Parts: sequence; C-alpha cells; structure tokens
Amino acid sequence: MDVQWVWESQKLTQRTIEHLRMFSISLLLAIVIGVTLGLFLYRRPKLASLTLNILNVVETIPTLALLVLFLPILGIGEKPTIAASVLYSILPIARNTYTGLTTVERSYLEVAEAIGLSDREILVKVRFPLALPLIAAGVRIAVVFTMGVVTLGGLIAAGGLGAPIQTGIHLYDKEIIIVAGLWVGILALLLDGIAALIEKYLRRRYRGGD
Amino acid sequence: MVGIERILSAFSEHLVLTYVSLFVSISVGIPLAVLALKSKRLASIIMGFANLVQAIPSFAVVAIVVPLLGIGFTPAIFAIFLRALLPIVKNTYVGLSEVDEAMIDAAEGIGLTEWEIIRHVRFPHAYPAMFAGIKFAAVLANSIAILTAIIGSGGLGRLVFEGLASFNTDKILAGSIPAILMAVFIDVSFSYVEKKITPKGIGSE
Repeated sequence: MDVQWVWESQKLTQRTIEHLRMFSISLLLAIVIGVTLGLFLYRRPKLASLTLNILNVVETIPTLALLVLFLPILGIGEKPTIAASVLYSILPIARNTYTGLTTVERSYLEVAEAIGLSDREILVKVRFPLALPLIAAGVRIAVVFTMGVVTLGGLIAAGGLGAPIQTGIHLYDKEIIIVAGLWVGILALLLDGIAALIEKYLRRRYRGGD
Repeated sequence: MVGIERILSAFSEHLVLTYVSLFVSISVGIPLAVLALKSKRLASIIMGFANLVQAIPSFAVVAIVVPLLGIGFTPAIFAIFLRALLPIVKNTYVGLSEVDEAMIDAAEGIGLTEWEIIRHVRFPHAYPAMFAGIKFAAVLANSIAILTAIIGSGGLGRLVFEGLASFNTDKILAGSIPAILMAVFIDVSFSYVEKKITPKGIGSE
C-alpha cells in the first residue's frame, strides 16, 4: 500500500480543501435557512405540519437522484452539490429548532412571564437558549448528511474527495479506493466528533446534564 | 426517450436489490439489538460502532466494499446491508431498552420468563422506534441501490449513470423518478405494517 503515491497522484490535499469548502458553505447555508425556517414555523404553527411533511418527502428522495435533478437547472459541478446538501440538511435543523422552541417547560415560561418579559424577550432569552442543544443535535445530523452529499458530488464533476473515489472505481484500482475511501471516512468521523463536542457543551450549559 | 420495458426491468432489479438487502439487515439487526440487551458493555460497543459507521458517507462505503468483494450484485447487497443495518440496530435497541421499569417489574411479578417479557412486553413497546429505524433504513437502502450501479449492480442507478455519462436528461429522469416513487411507497408501506401490528394503546406516533 503506497499511501504517499496515491495522495500525490490524486492530489488529495487539493481535493480535501475543495471538499471542506463545499462542506462549510453547505452547512452554513443549511443552518441559516433551517433555523430561520424553524423560527418561522414557531410563529406560524398552522404551517408547521405541512411544511415538515413536504421536507420529509424530500428526505426520501435518493441522494443521487436529487443531485441529478438539479443538473438541468444548475448545471454540473459545485452548485447542484451545494443545493442538494442544503436541501437535505434543512429538515433535521428546522425540525429540531421548531421542536426545541415549542417544547419549553411551562414553569420556565411562567417565571419569565411573572418577571414581566415580553413575548419577544421570552423567545430570545428563554426559548432560544433552551432550544440550542436540540438545534445542535439537528446540526450534527446535518453534518453527516452534508458530508455524504458532498462526497457524491464527485460523480457530477464537483471535485472534492468523491472524485478520487470515482477514479478508483473506474480504474478498479484498489489502492486509490481504499486510501481515498478511508480518508473520507476519517474526515467524516472527525467532523462528527467536533459537532458532538459542541452539542455536549451546549447540552451541559443549557439543559442541565440530561 | 427510454423504452418502458427498459424502465420496468431496471425497476424490478432495483426492487430486488433494495428488499433483499433490507431483509438481510432486518434479520441481522433485530437479533443484534436483542443481544445488546444482555449486557451494558456489549450495548455500548454496538452503539459506538453504529455511530462511527453512520458518519461515513455512503459513497465511501460502496467504494470500500469493492477491494474486499469485487464488483457486481453481491458486493452491492453487502454495501446496502451494511448501510441499512445500523439505524435498525440502534433504534430497536433504544426502543427495547427504554421500556418503563415498572412494566417489566409487573411482568416479572406475574411470572413471565425473560424471553416472554422480550416478546410480549418489550417488543410491542419498541415498535414505534423500531419502525422509525426500519423506514429510515429502507429509504437509505433505496438511495444506495442507485449508487451501487457504479459497481455494476444494475437497477435504476444504471439508467441514471448512463444518463449522466451522455448528459441525457430523459435517461436521468427515467432512472430517478421511479426511484423517488419507490422510496415514497416503501415509507408508506412500512407505516401501514407498523399500524397493523402495533397493539392498541401503545404509542400513537
């Protein structure tokens, strides 16, 4: 097994940078849109179940199919990959934000009302902080989804670490497949681990160790 | 345009691929979850492993199977099985282990054996969590069955990849739309089975 040869011939450093770039853009967009959507649904609870069900259906679409459905609209490469990652990751984040905001314990709300906080203040100072651990849990799921979709992007010329894997499968070159495949796996575990640490910290800080 | 016969044969290949792997995953996953009930140590090993594997992208899983098993139908089944196994194990175990202690005490009190408790008390209460896991696994399996076309499994993925290679939108759609319909159908059909076998009065989610 010649890791160094594979690494250099497949330009894995550059591929990793591409990969993480797409990953960060997608995740950031998904968090912004997902949390906003969660807040919106909290304001308009009548729309909540319909919206979440539509997103559920989106979630059942095979990743690759979603990716290629964007091809006619967005062309090949990074754009459809990012669009598909975002679409997949909105659901867990929005659902958890919505659940977090709506399931705050009554006693907290009563205390907040008793000390004279307005609805808006309750949302910002009570509901949102208490929802943070759940939002983080949603983001953690999104990290895994995004990682998967970005890897698939290699199939539609988006670059990233999916590209060397695809090359390996086409050439039937075991070394490339194993090195690139394991590297994506390790990277995914690393990112998931970081996300888990953040989630744990928020849980301890805002939910009192459950 | 793509011939309807071509789509139908790809669809049936896809169906076999998905359901065979899913069936294997279920029949391995559920006993594994029951086994994890036996000891805390075993459970934490299994759950830790499940979390690790979950984070690896599907494409990487498919790729890593190639050097071990080669290409074709069987390696594809194995890749899908691996991917679908963990949500099933994880959810079934969570469902089985989070049954109210009082309920278990009562069951022991009326003299049920350990096996009877698992069969008649733990399982019915675990159904909602278990089916949530199976449904998720089914959707995953359907999704990876498309991907495994790249390692020669056939199915709807082959149409998608042929379409991708020649930038033929008709072919891409002929592959992906049936796959989407199938995923939705799988989801609905498992919800139906779940409703049928769950005794009245247990979890309405």
